[in-house]
Amino acid sequence: MAGIEISEITKIFPGEVTALSELDLSIEDGEFFALLGPSGCGKTTLLRTIAGLEPATSGSLDIGDRDVTSLPPGDRNVAMVFQDYALYPHMTVRDNIAYPLKVQKVGREARYGEAEKAGSSLSLDGLMDRRPGQLSGGQQQRVAVARAVACRPDVFLFDEPLSNLDAQLRLEARGFLKQLQKDLGTTTVYVTHDQGEALALADRMAVMDHGVIRQVGTPTELFHRPANVFVAGFIGSTPMNLIPGVLGDGNVRFDGGVLPLNGRGDTGGEVFYGIRPEYITIGDVGDISGTVAITENLGAQFLVTVDVAGQLIRAVVAEGSEPATGDTATVNPDPDRVLVYDRESGELTPGAGYH
Amino acid sequence: MRDFVVRVAFIGFSAFVGAFFALPMLWLVFAPFDSTPTLAAQIPEFTLENFSDLLSNASALRSLGNSLILVAGVVGVVLLVGAPASYVLSRIKFPGRDVFLYMLLLMSSVITGAAAMVPLFLLTFELGLNDRFPGVILVLAGGMLPASIFILKDFTDTTPRSYEESARVFGATTLQTLRDVVVPVIRPGLAVISVWTAVNVWSNFLIPFILLRSPSKSPAAVLMYSFYTEGGQPNLRLIAAFSLLYTVPILLLYGYVNRKYGFRFHGGLKS
Repeated sequence: MAGIEISEITKIFPGEVTALSELDLSIEDGEFFALLGPSGCGKTTLLRTIAGLEPATSGSLDIGDRDVTSLPPGDRNVAMVFQDYALYPHMTVRDNIAYPLKVQKVGREARYGEAEKAGSSLSLDGLMDRRPGQLSGGQQQRVAVARAVACRPDVFLFDEPLSNLDAQLRLEARGFLKQLQKDLGTTTVYVTHDQGEALALADRMAVMDHGVIRQVGTPTELFHRPANVFVAGFIGSTPMNLIPGVLGDGNVRFDGGVLPLNGRGDTGGEVFYGIRPEYITIGDVGDISGTVAITENLGAQFLVTVDVAGQLIRAVVAEGSEPATGDTATVNPDPDRVLVYDRESGELTPGAGYH
Repeated sequence: MRDFVVRVAFIGFSAFVGAFFALPMLWLVFAPFDSTPTLAAQIPEFTLENFSDLLSNASALRSLGNSLILVAGVVGVVLLVGAPASYVLSRIKFPGRDVFLYMLLLMSSVITGAAAMVPLFLLTFELGLNDRFPGVILVLAGGMLPASIFILKDFTDTTPRSYEESARVFGATTLQTLRDVVVPVIRPGLAVISVWTAVNVWSNFLIPFILLRSPSKSPAAVLMYSFYTEGGQPNLRLIAAFSLLYTVPILLLYGYVNRKYGFRFHGGLKS
């Protein structure tokens, strides 16, 4: 068991491409930590740097009490599950799971015993003599996880392990991974570009962009108080409304009217008024009114887009209460849930909003 | 009606082409057992005497042995040199890599054995490899390598890097990774290269004919050239029997490799 301490890690690829830029991060022992970001943000590079597959250009990396910065991957005692699972097509499931132990020179009996155990904890009984090509995607994914479990590493590294599964299976595998990690208590770093997956799985998570970490925190913290407009736009199944306006006396003015705000006295700054669609109600009464441009069925809810003086504002309403397209409707944000971002820096301003 | 005529003509033509190619095969099956073979395929007056004559000819069996030595040597060199070379060319990108590969392939097919024969002869002579198996093996392997590397690189290209990376994370050394992961995955490619090289070497006449001057070192393909009667006529009895014997090892090789690995010449599609 071990935590991970990353300090000032920089990775520059040949051709002066900076993938990681003086990045600091500390991951607690036993934590399920998600690295979230759009493609090309450096999250996979960071994972591969932890694994040792990419040497860091500068900075240091500790796993547990050991400085592993210059150790080869095999000496770091980590196990990695690749996006394509990297199962060896010429080996049976049993041999695949036992392969890391074979490398560690564990005897045949012992390693097959371990493989059976790991396999059966991931419900792979009866599949042990098959080859990966004869398995379904979900089964292959479990074999890859079993192989990582069998070598009892200090740290699990997952590189988008669910992205090759279909939606139904992904949900199942997600719950399964979370349960497994809880049972084993092994520190886990999980890379994904799917914010829903990160929110669902992680104890804590980091949002990355262009090789830097934009915010670290629990899923709840990141959902309720995104530290900047990048995180605000990235987290949440429907992105946060960011309405450009000017701070007034306890409100924010924009072309369509005056948006309510609690507990702010300062005036005059150019800001984004941030409010999640889930915290806006649509009605007939209110100061801000516009035309319903689009309604989208989300199942139990509807996503309604209202055009208020050229500014599109999205709101999520319960099914049955959605207005029709073309109707006039008022938009009522919950002032307690509002976040105000500086328009120039994109950072969250202190004071207003949900705590 | 017209369709019918066209169809009959087509089938007739196909039958003719088939017969044209089948006749030598028929000869190969009948003539060895004929006490008086001619150049025509005919129902034999059955005898096994041709084979007993052949077996009493010491140089015949020795030449098959010589051929085996050459095949084993060349296949060995091609695999030992070609596999690592193709791996490196597949995994390491350097400027001009593709041009290098295509030039290699082009040169090896343009400059054939015959065109390069004189310099090759002089080269082996200078190296003291004249009339020795290693000389022939190196020359033949040199001819087979460019295309072998080209084909093997294709197989290696289709092996995902994540296979090797995951082995590295588990602590496998480079050698272990190659042995446990890369070689088994590209094994169909290695099988294709081996058979192709073996068939080429087995049937190569010119290079061993020129580089191996001692009759005792002649491989089968060269020895056949020396089956004449005292009268200077080709000794068809020996040639027929020897031809049949000569084809057997290659047929066995095909059968064996096909059963063991299967010829999957469509690249490294995951099985």
